[in-house]
Amino acid sequence: MATVTATTAPRTALPGPLRHPAVGKLLLLAVVAAILVPLMNARWASGSWPHELTVDLSAPLARASDWIIDNRDSHPLFLYFFGYLSNAVVVCVRAVYLVLLAAGWAGVTAAAGLLAWRTAGVRLALGTTAAFLACGLLGMWVPTMQTLALMVVAVLASVVLGALLGLAAGLSDRTYRALRPVLDTMQVFPAFAYLLPVVLVFGIGVPAAVFATVVYAAPPMARLTALGLRDADKEVLEAVESLGTTARQRLLSARLPLARGELLLGLNQTIMMALSMAVIASVIGAGGLGDRVYQALASVDVGAALAAGIPIVLLAVVLDRVTGAAGKGPGPGGRAGWAGWAYAAGATVAVALAARIAGRLDWSESWTVRIAGPVNRAVDWMTAHLYSGVPYVGGTADWAGRFTTWILDPVRAGLQWLPWWSVLLVVAALAWLIGTWRTALTAVLAMAATGVLGVWKPSLDTLSQVLAAVAVTLVLGFATGIAAARSDRFERLLRPVLDVFQTLPQFVYLIPVVALFGVGRAPAVAAAIVYALPAVVRITTQGLRQVDPAALESARSLGATSFQQLRQVQLPLARPALLLAVNQGVVLVLAVVIIGGLVGGGALGYDVVFGLAQGDLATGLVAGAAIVCLGLMLDRVTQPTGRRAKKGA
Amino acid sequence: MSKDTRTPADAPVFSVEGLWKVFGPKAERVPTDPEFASLSPAELRERTGCTAAVRDVGFDVRKGEVFVVMGLSGSGKSTLVRCLTRLIEPTAGTIAIDGEDVRAMDKARLRELRRHRAAMVFQHFGLLPHRTVLDNVAYGLEIQGVGRAERRERAAAFVAKVGLEGMEQRRPAQLSGGQRQRVGLARALAVDPEVLLFDEPFSALDPLIRRDMQEEVVRLHREEGRTMVFVTHDLSEALKLGDRIALMRDGRVVQLGTPEGIVGSPADDYVREFVRDVPREQVMTVRTAMRAATAEEAADGPALPPDATVSEAIEAVARTGSPARVMDGGRCLGVVDHDRLLRVVAGTGHRPEPGEKAA
Repeated sequence: MATVTATTAPRTALPGPLRHPAVGKLLLLAVVAAILVPLMNARWASGSWPHELTVDLSAPLARASDWIIDNRDSHPLFLYFFGYLSNAVVVCVRAVYLVLLAAGWAGVTAAAGLLAWRTAGVRLALGTTAAFLACGLLGMWVPTMQTLALMVVAVLASVVLGALLGLAAGLSDRTYRALRPVLDTMQVFPAFAYLLPVVLVFGIGVPAAVFATVVYAAPPMARLTALGLRDADKEVLEAVESLGTTARQRLLSARLPLARGELLLGLNQTIMMALSMAVIASVIGAGGLGDRVYQALASVDVGAALAAGIPIVLLAVVLDRVTGAAGKGPGPGGRAGWAGWAYAAGATVAVALAARIAGRLDWSESWTVRIAGPVNRAVDWMTAHLYSGVPYVGGTADWAGRFTTWILDPVRAGLQWLPWWSVLLVVAALAWLIGTWRTALTAVLAMAATGVLGVWKPSLDTLSQVLAAVAVTLVLGFATGIAAARSDRFERLLRPVLDVFQTLPQFVYLIPVVALFGVGRAPAVAAAIVYALPAVVRITTQGLRQVDPAALESARSLGATSFQQLRQVQLPLARPALLLAVNQGVVLVLAVVIIGGLVGGGALGYDVVFGLAQGDLATGLVAGAAIVCLGLMLDRVTQPTGRRAKKGA
Repeated sequence: MSKDTRTPADAPVFSVEGLWKVFGPKAERVPTDPEFASLSPAELRERTGCTAAVRDVGFDVRKGEVFVVMGLSGSGKSTLVRCLTRLIEPTAGTIAIDGEDVRAMDKARLRELRRHRAAMVFQHFGLLPHRTVLDNVAYGLEIQGVGRAERRERAAAFVAKVGLEGMEQRRPAQLSGGQRQRVGLARALAVDPEVLLFDEPFSALDPLIRRDMQEEVVRLHREEGRTMVFVTHDLSEALKLGDRIALMRDGRVVQLGTPEGIVGSPADDYVREFVRDVPREQVMTVRTAMRAATAEEAADGPALPPDATVSEAIEAVARTGSPARVMDGGRCLGVVDHDRLLRVVAGTGHRPEPGEKAA
């Protein structure tokens, strides 16, 4: 049922002029299908993906993984390359961790507060200090420092790697053309897909976590560095060239300073993605806050999960605000700025020493507030009273159950019942209608790849969750977005909420949904909806608000009602933004649906978790590859026509 | 100055010959092939996929003059001025500065040219937003490796010269458009270039500010006598500033001459249409409007220098009621009377000989 709505919805959303090419494309596709489908059906008549077309990779993958495990301590590649890398990472993280511990809670809090004060002002400094103290109060000081130590190393590495790649891509067209599709594609992959390859090479542990984080967090830095260097005001660069600068002078005195905004935005995004990944990487041995959440979720201990989740949230908000403020602020100050930094550093050292002398290096146990117990009691109460049997509205577990029975199950059953070729056909049709034949081809190949990998059924299971979550997200998101675009007051109310929600790592969304809905596929879908909603709302609102005011004014002057304005002017003109919202929604939903494997979401996400937990890397790697394919397919299907290609030209 | 010893005073600063700039695939075949070279822009694009922005242009810029390149948007004038210092690499032709071949320069020599001999002022200013006014003006000197104290001192003098005292520590974003262009002008002047290149410097400004800035340029030129190449799409600006004007259309120079030559004797219908609304009496001089004087006229009547404008003559003739004499030294060259002056205003007056227009 939902598949039918999914296929027709984008088509009706197309405005009139686009209908003709659309019909042409569909006809052509129908002809191709009419020739190919009977042939395929005759050869591989099967509802599910035909067995003859799968390639069993688990045996070779298992062999490869065994080989790596056997040779990790003896093969030169590991001894002299990966070994060094991994040792270096361990040493770095350890060193940062020891420095943080040596500075003590007082020193670290003072340093963070003063850093925030220098870059973002007094209010954020107070907020930062409060956030760090809260981490201590919750009894999470040591895990917070573990996460922070990992973050510091991973962010530094990501920034260096990203900036270098970005510099290369910003200065050389050829590198840019080569790098850009890679970076674009990496951005649509769910975080989970990065875990297994690094585990294969480095084994479970801190190095794997750091490398997964770096690989995940470096692309935004690279993208934005390249973008900043390329989008610099052409006339300024020409003026600078006209004064006889050398290429080096141009880079240092003009291009990099001009790209300052993008560089700092890249830093901000890299830090946020690194935090998100550092938390998820607890699955592969990163200690710290993520690990506490992971362990707590595994035993459905919502109170403990919340105690570790709150510091993650606080850390995310503080990091985002401070780095964001640094990007928006004025340029680097003169000598006064340096003096301020010197004072800040001095004050930090003083506070750290004072705490040391006072013997208050470690956070005192007596100062912690144990929230796990009360929270768990509250959750128990909720379980008893809200889970089910609430008169008229039903309980949360009832909703989850009904959602599973009435929506998730039929969609999954429908998808798995569909002949495999018709799934490919629908993918091709959708991708071609919205995008170009290239995106359609990529989408079909990616979808077929999941079949070839032998995980057709779990992929469709994941897909069904994604479709259901995306449908709900879009309905809620478009409605909220339209409301926010029409009412300034509503938008003002909504903005801080969106700001906070958009900065949170994917992982923490699992905590409240487990509290509310227990475990299963419905909570995974709910987490995905909550995670993707802010982005969809924001893009929709911005798209609607950026509609040419002159067009809107002329519609109003012709006496259009506000509904007519919305339907005939705003929505059609905001179509690119709406398509982008769909695209983003799909990508974000997929990321969390996969992580939902940790809370009983099943399907591909579970395969990855299972593979990691059982040391069965082959299963995990196949699932990871399928996740990548699914991500690629979903992104290409919803990728608006040539938009990315044009931006690059 | 040392430049003067290098070249004779009347030698051209810039000498351009057969210059082509073609954008597009295999651009270099267009200038050399007479078949392509004669095509219209639309045909050329259709046949080769190339766009010829500058087509076979040649001119000399003399020392100390204001040479205006004038044309509508897309006529190739901005490309042309960028070719002079190879900000855009020309496709064919020769460019010489003080007799030295610009196209043959290596990178270091070209940087030298840009650093010391030709500085440019841009339409959208091209200021560095992260630097103060003073540091923007000092930027050219910084590039040359001038020490911090010295370059700031020299820059401060130029900031004052363009009338921005007290604003040294502001950022470009805190300035108005006119003030920003003054910074751009000061930056170009600060490196003491032999030639100043202007690329539509005032088109982004309000009309009143634009007039101020034009007067500023006139003043600077009067004070320093620096050679200027000035690109504009504004005819009145061209007429006001230019000693000579090259009028461009579709990449070609359709007419090159004094403002009077262009207004008084347009080379073709395009130029005629272009200058139709120009108040001729303010551009034409009595030298072109006069006729031979009779003996009695040569003896009496108000006297005017030969380069007085017709509107000045009208004023004199209206005041005295008699024809005005055009006097060069003590010699009477001719007279202008009501009839002659009215013909100029009506646009039916005599046209100078073709030979005169290249003057």
